[in-house]
Amino acid sequence: MDSPAFWVILLAAIFTNNILLSNFLGMCSFLAVSKRVETAVGLGLAVVFVCTCTSALNWIIYYKLLNPETSWIGLDLRFLSFILFIAVIAAFVQFVEMVIEKVSQTLYLALGIFLPLITVNCAILGACLLLIIRQYDFVRSIAYGLGSGLGWMLAIVVIAGIRERLRFSHVPAALGQTGIVMIITGIMAMAFIGFAGMISL
Amino acid sequence: MSIEPPKTCTGSCASCPSLQDDLKKGRLALRAGIFQENPVFCQILGVCSALAVTSKVANAVVMGAAVTFTAILGNAMIAAMRNIIPRRIRLMVEVIVIAFFVIVFDQLLKAYWFDMSRELGPYVGLIITNCILMGRAEAYALQNRVLPSMMDGLGNGLGYSAVLLIVAVIRELSGSGTLLAGTPLAIILSAQPVSSGTPHLLRIPIDIAPAQLMIMAPGAFFTIGVLIYIFGAFRKQEAK
Amino acid sequence: MSLYIGSIVIFCGLLLALSVVLEIAARFFVDAGPFTIDVNNGERTLTAEGGSTLLNVLTDNKIFIPSACGGQATCGYCKVRLPDSSIADVLPTEKAFLNRQELANGTRLACQVKIRRPLSVRIPQHLLSVQQYRAKVISTVSVTHDIKELQFKLIDPPTMDYSYGHYIQVSIPDPQEGAISRAYSVSSPIDQKDVIELNVRLHPARGKIPAGKGSTYLHNLKVGDEVIITGPYGEFELDTDPKTELICVGGGAGMAPMKNLILSILEHIPKKPVWLFFGCRTRADVFYLDLYQKLSQKHPHFKVIYALSEKADDHWDGETGFIHLSVDKYLPDDLRAQQAFLCGPPPMIDAVTEVLLDKNMRPERIFYDKF
Repeated sequence: MDSPAFWVILLAAIFTNNILLSNFLGMCSFLAVSKRVETAVGLGLAVVFVCTCTSALNWIIYYKLLNPETSWIGLDLRFLSFILFIAVIAAFVQFVEMVIEKVSQTLYLALGIFLPLITVNCAILGACLLLIIRQYDFVRSIAYGLGSGLGWMLAIVVIAGIRERLRFSHVPAALGQTGIVMIITGIMAMAFIGFAGMISL
Repeated sequence: MSIEPPKTCTGSCASCPSLQDDLKKGRLALRAGIFQENPVFCQILGVCSALAVTSKVANAVVMGAAVTFTAILGNAMIAAMRNIIPRRIRLMVEVIVIAFFVIVFDQLLKAYWFDMSRELGPYVGLIITNCILMGRAEAYALQNRVLPSMMDGLGNGLGYSAVLLIVAVIRELSGSGTLLAGTPLAIILSAQPVSSGTPHLLRIPIDIAPAQLMIMAPGAFFTIGVLIYIFGAFRKQEAK
Repeated sequence: MSLYIGSIVIFCGLLLALSVVLEIAARFFVDAGPFTIDVNNGERTLTAEGGSTLLNVLTDNKIFIPSACGGQATCGYCKVRLPDSSIADVLPTEKAFLNRQELANGTRLACQVKIRRPLSVRIPQHLLSVQQYRAKVISTVSVTHDIKELQFKLIDPPTMDYSYGHYIQVSIPDPQEGAISRAYSVSSPIDQKDVIELNVRLHPARGKIPAGKGSTYLHNLKVGDEVIITGPYGEFELDTDPKTELICVGGGAGMAPMKNLILSILEHIPKKPVWLFFGCRTRADVFYLDLYQKLSQKHPHFKVIYALSEKADDHWDGETGFIHLSVDKYLPDDLRAQQAFLCGPPPMIDAVTEVLLDKNMRPERIFYDKF
């Protein structure tokens, strides 16, 4: 069976297999940062960038170094994948922080303060692990990384918009901030299920 | 809650090492981890996996065990090393220690229960980014001795597992009419007899129409949202 | 066997490769300087490496700005003025501590300013005379169940010129952050230039609030231990006119500056009228009362009133209730000519300030140290 096409994977990752609404990844920063649309967009863009690049980097590391069948070394080092992926993500985030700070002060003020938060964002590590599980090739991995990032950003921006409106509604006190966000996200997830069948992976 | 330092010293408990003090402190941490400072409901940490693996009780139990395992041993190692970790690479060391124990658990799971490992998918690996573990390492293990840190890890791990268990029971029961499906201890609610290939403990002949939504993503969000509400309402009552 | 070697090699190798890439990137992207920092329009010129914070640069050059949180942007003490800074440069972490006027004139938190280009800094003049001292504990006495009186003999440099109501910062070793500092008012009189005395209240852990790092450290010191102190700091300007009455109001752990003020004034300006109002909770929290009562007998211009806010036992014939009520009771209604120094918990300060303002004291004459 043919592996799905680039565009199919991209769109599926955004809509039908949204990494946040279907795979529940990236909730912590999602809950913490989604209070205003501006900050949500900033964080979302940062996630898109980091997710795409690290998907590519981690694919190379997995298939060229760790997987015994395809690597340059013959050893089965797949058990190192967790820790090496995280190391790559952390290093990449620091690298990007330096570049942004040098290149554009405004971009840094908008985006840069979020970057350390992303290091422990489950969505990025999750996307890397999932693309290994699904055995995508290099190009499709990039599609998946890009799609996951965009899907996450879509979810967080929409929720931020809803939460801005929510400020003027009467929410029961016991629900607090998180409870109501969970329920709203649940409704969003239900809405996104409507996309199922549009694309089949 | 605080422990009164013994009359002979005027410093904090950390300067008076003794097993009694350790256990007392540890028990406090243990209780706090399960109730007052429950990681999921009170600190809103680690929700990612709470949502993902709770479609089946068996998965939730294994995940809870994984987090508790890592929390106890990870906290222990970090507490043991807390005075020799250089300040600048503190976070990196914490991540490496946690990753180490997660990898150990993952490999054990792959070896002894491969089907479960496949079901849990990437979520075992994602324990590394689980905010609970990093959070406890920073907040507790870095400043306390080994035994209280281990009990703090146990407390938080158990608190987390309890939440997972509650959510999973609700979801699996209403979503597929089973409990512990996939294990020999499965309890199945079904009027029709179960196929002979499925290992199960008990079949209860009640016919329920499972609400498929519960084992899908929205079900998880709703369950957690409602549980937060109930928990929050309880705490408000208590506070009064 | 080759698996073990291979995994270690790959693991360490990759981490090493990542570190190298980051180092190179840092060299390339982060402009490392050195940059010149001009302090107070040429009074001092420093050179600094790029990337470090302004606070660290100043400290390395022995200019000691007050700082209590070790650069975490939680105390707001390390304010300096950068005349060329624009509001766009101000980080969100600083904005919580700067009011509109400060933002307009370029005030920044020194611990949040990263050196990326040459800077011009304005620091209050008196801070430039702040020095770092090595000192040794010569006495520790518990004056109440939770307050200790500590005396430090200055070793190097051997004397400190401090004035009325000044404070020092003690360097506290901390396992996580290296060294942090905490500020304490000096309780010794200004003539005692070689020995610094402090009154420190112990803050044990209470529920979720961890134990006070400074108080724990100081309470655990023994005679002979060495400490690092920086000082003197202080913005209080005593009106030295012997006709101007000074009203000191303190509570709880706010005794230290009171003792300094009273002993120093009685020595240098003996005719100056001084009031001391001090509020404690119970009889067990009272200290130095005998000292002050004796001084009051010798110096008729010095009056002292202690008040206990919790149920007093039968041995107490002094005032009861919160201290601001005593202030209200004993002071006349026209305080336009007086000056006040307040030190204690924020609610006490707010209450006393209200009473003083009601009695027409001019707001700029009320000085306070909120702990």
